[in-house]
Amino acid sequence: MNNKINLLIAVILFISASQIRGQEWIAPADKASVSNPSEYNLANVKKGKEIYQKNCKSCHGDAGKYNALPLVPVPPDVASEIMHSNTEGGLFHKITAGKGGMPQFETTLSEDDRWRLVNYIMNYNPNVEPVLVEAPPVKAKIMASVNEVNKQVEVFAEFDNNGTFEKLADAEVIVSAKKTFGNLVIGKALTDENGRALFTIPESHIGDEEGYVKLVVALGEGYEVAALDLKSAKVGKLKEIPKLIKGGEILWSTNENIQPWLLFSYLGAVGGAWLAIGYIIFLIFRIRKYSKL
Amino acid sequence: MKRIESADESRKLLDKITFDLTRSIVKKDELTYFWFFILIMFVGVGLWGWGIQINDGLGVTGMRDYVSWGMYIANFVFFVAISLIGFLLSSALHLLKIHWAKPISRVAEQVAIAGVALAGLIIVMDMGRPERLLNVFLHGRFASPIIWDVTVVTTYLTISVLLFYIPLIPDLALLRDRLGDEVPKWKITLYTILALGWKGNPMQYKTVYHAMRVLMLLIIPVGLSIHTVTSWLFAATLRSGWDTTILGPYFVAGAFVAGSAAVIMLMYAYRVRYGLKDYFEDIHFDYMGKLLVFVCLVYLYFNVNEFLVPGYKMKSAEGVHLKNLFAGSFSVMFWVVQVFGLILPLVLLLIKYFRKPLPITIISFFVLISSWFKRYLIVVPTMEHPFLPVQNVPENFHTYVPTSIEIMITLFSFFAALTIISVLAKLFPVITIWEYAEDKGIDKKYLSEKPRN
Repeated sequence: MNNKINLLIAVILFISASQIRGQEWIAPADKASVSNPSEYNLANVKKGKEIYQKNCKSCHGDAGKYNALPLVPVPPDVASEIMHSNTEGGLFHKITAGKGGMPQFETTLSEDDRWRLVNYIMNYNPNVEPVLVEAPPVKAKIMASVNEVNKQVEVFAEFDNNGTFEKLADAEVIVSAKKTFGNLVIGKALTDENGRALFTIPESHIGDEEGYVKLVVALGEGYEVAALDLKSAKVGKLKEIPKLIKGGEILWSTNENIQPWLLFSYLGAVGGAWLAIGYIIFLIFRIRKYSKL
Repeated sequence: MKRIESADESRKLLDKITFDLTRSIVKKDELTYFWFFILIMFVGVGLWGWGIQINDGLGVTGMRDYVSWGMYIANFVFFVAISLIGFLLSSALHLLKIHWAKPISRVAEQVAIAGVALAGLIIVMDMGRPERLLNVFLHGRFASPIIWDVTVVTTYLTISVLLFYIPLIPDLALLRDRLGDEVPKWKITLYTILALGWKGNPMQYKTVYHAMRVLMLLIIPVGLSIHTVTSWLFAATLRSGWDTTILGPYFVAGAFVAGSAAVIMLMYAYRVRYGLKDYFEDIHFDYMGKLLVFVCLVYLYFNVNEFLVPGYKMKSAEGVHLKNLFAGSFSVMFWVVQVFGLILPLVLLLIKYFRKPLPITIISFFVLISSWFKRYLIVVPTMEHPFLPVQNVPENFHTYVPTSIEIMITLFSFFAALTIISVLAKLFPVITIWEYAEDKGIDKKYLSEKPRN
């Protein structure tokens, strides 16, 4: 018994120790001292941001907004103190190797890209001059129409220039399809000098059974404008209705596809029992009738 | 069976039997009021707890994502189990012409009715949205083993009520004719309605015998299936400890153990409370003790199969489950249940002394409590060990601890069952008078005579 308790205490200590170690993840000294071969400039930071949005944001959240997923341990924010207690080499090592909930990116991101990520993180280091400064969003508005024949979306964008709306050139327009669990980005286009962007829906895009797609048009980052929900338009491929592999054998748990032996045994047994009960009720009436004899 | 020829002697004996067996109906003292006060108080507290649960949702229980079946389901299985004794004592033994069990059959039927009625109610109490109960019938899926449970519980309740009622019809006429000012008027009205204008003519007796026989035959498959399909709730699930083909007979055998214990306790209560020493005789307790030994042996055999077969294989998840029962966090409960609920009663009841009324009642008490915890052990440990590891959930999702609301509602079920039994005992004789009188050799014609004052 005593042995068991000792074992239990040892296990608890081990688990809590590993928890603490998990929180203080320190990169080995030889890795931490590696210097960044990639230049810290706007191009690299921008590229790093792009990589971050694709690979890291889903857990770590937006930089400086502290909106990471509530995991254990919590993924630190890019602008946080924990993040910047690492050296550049340390960050690179952690991105490369991963640990626990943090996956490794050695096999999914190139070395250059990983260093660019480090550059992006360094943009938020309090001791480093930021090169990528996010300007406050500009108020904008968008108008869009769909041409079902050409399968094209025409977008006009304007921005608020101190009270008057002017044509918005060189702005990124994002066209997505509204799906059950969120918007699926179909593609992007840039507005021309007239604030006009023309986007062709690719042939391969699948709509519903009749080809309808609910399009959503939005502007890229830096603009304050609500996404525009367009009416369903017939611009997609027809969705194929999947054929059942073997008729009744899948989805057996619905009443339409129930196995016949289950149905017969159930209805037979229950029906038989209630028939007999009905007979007894009949006998009760008979007893009543006989009392008049 | 000897027949009593003399009319005077017959009438005298019938008067005595009627007097003794209606004592439970007529007797009214402070203890009765106190007993009903206790019952109603606990039932009220339990209903209050249910009110809280309906208002706040199932979050007030200890059940979470992983352990989604807790004390309620264990309690449900327990009540289904004790209700099964009705079919063993009042039907199977009757059909086998085992005579000594006759006076006990009413007691067994009382336990059956109370047990199965509460089992149905507990399932409703385990529902998060009980007002949607009707959907179970409207949108039930035939491919789910749970639909069996819903129908079989209602069917068994119906048959048990009929099997309680039909042999009672001649008695109800007797009570209607013989009880006067001793009982309130509404009781007489009730007997008059339920007696169906019974005259006691041969055709009526024939119909009663026929109906009883049909019911006794019917209740055997239904009784067996009620606990078998309860076991399917578990056995049709791919989980360690449940995924075994022996679970049906295992549950039935366990049910007989629990039910016999419940009946013995109730017999003793009636014997002491209503002075029925000459009706629930020592010999009945002795035979019930032997019956309990027999069903315990069957249950032990199934236990050996249930634990030893997977114990040899120790498949990964099954191994975790078994280790948890034998030496892990549930080991104390497991061994107490096995020793006090099965091994010890089995050994003790082999000795004649322990089959005397009081000792066997005490043993039955332990058996009954153990069998409740046994159901808890069937439900909860398996739920705590799913095949995939439990992770990324709050700490209180890992293990199950019943909350006070759950305990309140579980206590409610016990007291509600006792209330049903008490009301039945206050309304109807605990042994059918006419059958008992007939056994003692009194001719049927004296039964329908109006009493001479």
